[in-house]
Amino acid sequence: MFDLVLQLVFVILSVSLALVFFRLIKGPTLPDRVVALELIASLTVGFIAAYAVLTEKSDFIDVAVVLALTAFMAAVGFARYLEKRGRRDGE
Amino acid sequence: MVSEFLTGLFMLVGALLMLVASIGILRMPDLLIRMHATTKAGALGGGLMVLSVAFFFDDGAVTARAVATVIFIILTAPVAAHIIGRAAYFVGLPLWEHTVKDDLEGRYDPETHTLSSGEVKDKQTPG
Amino acid sequence: MIVFTWNLLLALAWVALWGVFTATNLLVGFVVGYVALRLVFKNRPGFEDYFYRLPRIITFIGFFIVDLVKSNVRVAYDVITPRHHMRPGVVGIPLDVATDREITVLANLISVTPGTLSLDVSSDRKVLYIHAMYIDDEDALLQDIKELERRVHEILR
Repeated sequence: MFDLVLQLVFVILSVSLALVFFRLIKGPTLPDRVVALELIASLTVGFIAAYAVLTEKSDFIDVAVVLALTAFMAAVGFARYLEKRGRRDGE
Repeated sequence: MVSEFLTGLFMLVGALLMLVASIGILRMPDLLIRMHATTKAGALGGGLMVLSVAFFFDDGAVTARAVATVIFIILTAPVAAHIIGRAAYFVGLPLWEHTVKDDLEGRYDPETHTLSSGEVKDKQTPG
Repeated sequence: MIVFTWNLLLALAWVALWGVFTATNLLVGFVVGYVALRLVFKNRPGFEDYFYRLPRIITFIGFFIVDLVKSNVRVAYDVITPRHHMRPGVVGIPLDVATDREITVLANLISVTPGTLSLDVSSDRKVLYIHAMYIDDEDALLQDIKELERRVHEILR
């Protein structure tokens, strides 16, 4: 039963990843893509959590911490860049 | 047994929330509304999934790290939304056509990057 | 804050004496420590404030979680069903709270509550701009935020 739930979780996360990826390609503006990237990072954190349970290795949680941190830093960096660059038409 | 049940429950609910966030980011009409999906459903879902790891191992060190991760995720999501939303206003943000009002319109100074409070109607009239 | 440290130390001592380091045990130790401190240090000025504030913070968290679940369901429903029922918009909320700490907490709480998302604070810290998904009644929305603001102010002061 527990294994089945875990498998189901992986399936749900994969479907979600596909959906977000579609938004990442579609855009239409750069901030939209940044938001999509951020959600992809969140999904990956979920993947790592599920994988840690699957393999029964608790060390993976450190990976999740670092990934969450990097994703936040990336979002801050993107936002700074966008703000500095300012308005640009026909993107 | 109990810890396995809790792990499964939290993980499943977290994954479903993430699915809702993903559908939201695909279907919602403009950036600001999409950010609703990522900051709430996305962050809450990720937090629940990490928390389920704590239930599974039921060990002090793992629990501490998991809780720290959850707090980090919950704290950073609104901050990320704030800075991206702000940047989006400088880039130029097309809002959904059914948007009721936009108080931020023209309040940002493109030169100094400050935000004025404007003449805020203290008591906003209904309608 | 010092009292909180004392309480935490008592909880750690409890855990150490039991020899079982789990989150549940730490929580039990914290509650026992709170009761013990409250019984021993009645009517001490520095302590009184803490005793008064902790239950308030916990009620606040409870109130907040209920709110969170309620409005999450609403947004999830709107995401899944094919028609959009939204009336979104950006609203400026005049702020009464003044300190940076209060504004930060308030803005984060608004962001975490589904249906509203705080965007920015004006440079003079007088207005908080939020994006709301459902502006059916702007006064009601304003009232909700003001209620939240009052609670935040009560806890942080």
